[in-house]
Amino acid sequence: MTDSPSSTPLLQVQDLVLHYRTRRGPVRAVDGVSFDLRRGEAMVVLGESGCGKTSLSRALLRLLPRNLGAFSGRVMLDGQDTMPLSEEKFRREVRWVKVSMVMQAAMNALNPVVRVGDQVAEPLQVHRRWSRAKALERAAEAFQWVGISTDFLARYPFELSGGMRQRAVLAMALVTEPDLVILDEPTSALDVLTQANIMNVLKRIKRDRGTSFILITHDVGTSSEIADRVALMYAGQIVELADAARFFPEPAHPYARMLMDSVPRLKVVKQPDFIPGHPPNLLRLPEGCRFADRCPHRFARCADHPPLFDLGERRESRCWLHHDGGPS
Amino acid sequence: MALREPAESHPSASPRGWTRNLRRVAVFTLARLAALFVTVLIGVYLAIVTANMGGKVDELREVQIRSGVAEAVRGDPGFQDLPAEQRNALIEQRVQIQRERLRLDQPFIVRSFGYLYQAMRLNLGRAEHMHSDRGSRQVSAIILERLPATLGLFGTASLILFFSSVAAALVLSRRYGSRLDRMVVGLAPTSAAPGWFYGMFLILVFAFLIPAFPSGGMVEAPPPEGFAYVRSLLHHMVLPLAAMFLSGIFISIYSWRTFFLIHSSEDYVEMARAKGLSSRMIERRYVLRPTLPPIVTSFALMLIGMWGGSILLEQVFNWPGLGTLMFRAIGQRDTPVIIASVVIFAYLLAATMFILDILYALLDPRVKLTGGRR
Repeated sequence: MTDSPSSTPLLQVQDLVLHYRTRRGPVRAVDGVSFDLRRGEAMVVLGESGCGKTSLSRALLRLLPRNLGAFSGRVMLDGQDTMPLSEEKFRREVRWVKVSMVMQAAMNALNPVVRVGDQVAEPLQVHRRWSRAKALERAAEAFQWVGISTDFLARYPFELSGGMRQRAVLAMALVTEPDLVILDEPTSALDVLTQANIMNVLKRIKRDRGTSFILITHDVGTSSEIADRVALMYAGQIVELADAARFFPEPAHPYARMLMDSVPRLKVVKQPDFIPGHPPNLLRLPEGCRFADRCPHRFARCADHPPLFDLGERRESRCWLHHDGGPS
Repeated sequence: MALREPAESHPSASPRGWTRNLRRVAVFTLARLAALFVTVLIGVYLAIVTANMGGKVDELREVQIRSGVAEAVRGDPGFQDLPAEQRNALIEQRVQIQRERLRLDQPFIVRSFGYLYQAMRLNLGRAEHMHSDRGSRQVSAIILERLPATLGLFGTASLILFFSSVAAALVLSRRYGSRLDRMVVGLAPTSAAPGWFYGMFLILVFAFLIPAFPSGGMVEAPPPEGFAYVRSLLHHMVLPLAAMFLSGIFISIYSWRTFFLIHSSEDYVEMARAKGLSSRMIERRYVLRPTLPPIVTSFALMLIGMWGGSILLEQVFNWPGLGTLMFRAIGQRDTPVIIASVVIFAYLLAATMFILDILYALLDPRVKLTGGRR
């Protein structure tokens, strides 16, 4: 590496591909995704259901399905490519050591027959070979970070409310103090108050400990609170990648603009607009731009597949409208 | 790392958790005991009513008594000179004594509860025709002689079946969709045939065509002593065990493999994978452990099915157990023995259920009775 460690991004993803094998052909869930994430940054991955957000998070932790079709690209952590690591090495050195995760449906992410405290403490026992007592002590601290009473350490998951379970899972993701925490729809099953609560916990952790986050969501509202960077996904690809401060007020890609227009706002009196049509089937993706069918700005060039165009200031867009800057 | 102050309350959660667990299991145990007792009570009462044909058997017995008494009186030279009326009166009188001795003068419904009380206290009475190998007419002696044979055979069979099928199912769930997996799935319907069915074939092949094992019985005659006895017993057990194993193994592996498969797609298993646990640990703690409660349940059902099938299986292998005893008692219409066998079966079933219930409560923290503290 020629870069000095300080300038090396925490996470560099290059041309990541994750396809599922099905009887009707490959499902291209993650189809050439590239992005960088700096230490301490929070990136929000936005997109509709079925655009490959969750598959992306799985691919980063190499949680591959049985019907795996293709899996390639580079995932660099601190400048080290993790893809050549053996399964055993990856498990020992990456999972929950450098990268942890709060999965979608975290409500069921706890083993029903093991005490919550033991489950939170488990990664420390496995990865740091701590004693159970020592690990439980740290688990108690983690419970305090996320705002659950330590009384609940000895409870079973079914004795906790949904919000508490979610926070326990978050505590589990934070307990080993990883560099990066991936959160897959961490609040989508929760009521608004609990959602706000959890977002506050995340903000505090990010501020106090400099943990990086990848927050996967379709909820534009809550994500804008914490995001430093935004990656907008459409049909398995990133269509816009930008700083949150620039993305939210002024989205560049036509899909981004339409998506932001579809979000109801409190301050402006305006009917939310909806995006007509459906996202394309990941089994049969169009040759050209994947959004062209639903795009009001479609023109001849859209028959070709657009690359990501660099718009400057760490901003990229996958749209021929931004061709002036030339291919990145 | 700028961590917060350490937790003020040390997470010494386990002791408190344990007492909570104990209390939960104790309450659960008592309630299950009560429920099982009522079940046994009803089952045994039904058996008593059925075995007595709702009181019809008593009429037969009365006829039997009368003819027996009449013959005895007529055949007794001391009563030869009596006039017919007096002799009939004497017969009536003696029949009456017998009826009172056997309490046949009371209505059946009243006596049935008496029987029930005696049966539940394991006060099993005397057999009408059968006797134990040592010559006792005590039903309890007859049954005690048979019980170890049945318990030994079926206990061994179910333990072998349980552990081998759980282990095989775990292996198979890891190799879902492989040729081996598809083969076991394909063989699962073979369990539709009961153990005694396979028993007949095994006897044909391994006792007659290839005389490697004895065709029946529990030990050689005359029974050898000491170590040779154990060897002979094991030798005789091979075929019946194989029969039960064959009839139960594939369906058990199949259904438990399916349990494991369903449970290994749970979110918490995926989470455990993400946490970087080794696959051995995931299998033990996140697949096997949460799956144990349903496995224990289905094991209980299997055991009960086996007890039920024991009558025929023991008959086929000429195994001197409870099943054979019951079969013979039915053939000889020995009501006390029939009832006693049913009582023992009922208690065995209840004991099985009870042990498995407690196991379940220990295995699954979610099991608790309504009204229990949350």
